[in-house]
Amino acid sequence: MLKLEIITSEKLLFAGEIKIVKLPGVSGSFEIMENHAPIISTLMQGKIKVKEINDMVSYFEIKGGLVELSNNDVKVLVEEQ
Amino acid sequence: MANLKDIRTRIASVKSTQQVTSAMKMVSAAKLRKAQDAIIQMRPYAEKLNEILTSVSSNLSSDVENKYAGRKTEGRILIIAITSNRGLCGGFNSNVVKRVSELVSTTFREQAGRKKVDVIAVGKKAVDGLKSKGIIVTNSYLDIYEKLSFLTAGEIAQSLMESYSAGDYDRVELVYNQFKNAAVQNLVNEQFLPVSVSIKDTKATKKASNISYLFEPSMQEIVVTIIPQSLKIQFYKALLDSVAAEHGARMTAMHKATDNAFDLIKELKLNYNKARQASITNEILEIVSGANAMKS
Repeated sequence: MLKLEIITSEKLLFAGEIKIVKLPGVSGSFEIMENHAPIISTLMQGKIKVKEINDMVSYFEIKGGLVELSNNDVKVLVEEQ
Repeated sequence: MANLKDIRTRIASVKSTQQVTSAMKMVSAAKLRKAQDAIIQMRPYAEKLNEILTSVSSNLSSDVENKYAGRKTEGRILIIAITSNRGLCGGFNSNVVKRVSELVSTTFREQAGRKKVDVIAVGKKAVDGLKSKGIIVTNSYLDIYEKLSFLTAGEIAQSLMESYSAGDYDRVELVYNQFKNAAVQNLVNEQFLPVSVSIKDTKATKKASNISYLFEPSMQEIVVTIIPQSLKIQFYKALLDSVAAEHGARMTAMHKATDNAFDLIKELKLNYNKARQASITNEILEIVSGANAMKS
């Protein structure tokens, strides 16, 4: 199961189990699904698309940030707009 | 023996002061909770950022080119004094002012002699306090507490970082009250710049070394983006700590003031009753002696 947390410096934006997350990486947009290899990447301005376990899709606008993934645990640190 | 009316007015005035202080205590308690919440909200972000920074920098073999790194020269010093805008919080503000003047006259004595120490004040009380100590305040931020957010704190941190990388200063030091709990504040001075990417948390490094991460776009670039962010977080945390500590200090100060008022009222009431009794005794004495004089 893929777990996702989107954290800003002031609050938790999202926490839960998801199917897929699409992130605006600096060297191109990319998606993370279950059993993705561990990665640390910087993010640029754009939209994060989250597809939850119940197929609900939500978007988060960000100004920039960082993503860290290990053991199916995604942590996204973002700067809000 | 003081006159009865005087004591009565004093009791009334102490009572109204007590009401004010106990109300201020309650207000501070509520604000303290809010300030504490802000710290707690910020913590996961700061911890994760630190973890990523340590795990990336522990993987790096060479030092990263970093414009916030240390320099050989120790010429110009910048001290940031963080206080509150309001008083009535015990030694909270004066401690910061004292520490700053101590730093200027001891640690940075040599630089101060060459007029190479600048002080920036955050909060009105730092401006007033430092001025009375004869320390020149080069710049001040007075209205950041009204709407303190990561954005506003980040802007100040950004301008500090810019003046550091431009070479205006070789060292930036923060002086503020760290929040420990509602009753305890720790006065600290903390080096803000130059930044040292050190492996502080051994647990984080151990965890990181077990996982071989992919780095996008590259480790160097990640470090370069993380460092300014972590500096902003450090500055924001200092401000949040100071706000929480201020409310804690005010709460304790007001609690003590309320207690003192209570003691004072008790003492005044005793005096009042004594004076009242004395005047009654006097009256009886007069009546009795008057009656006795009539009899004889």
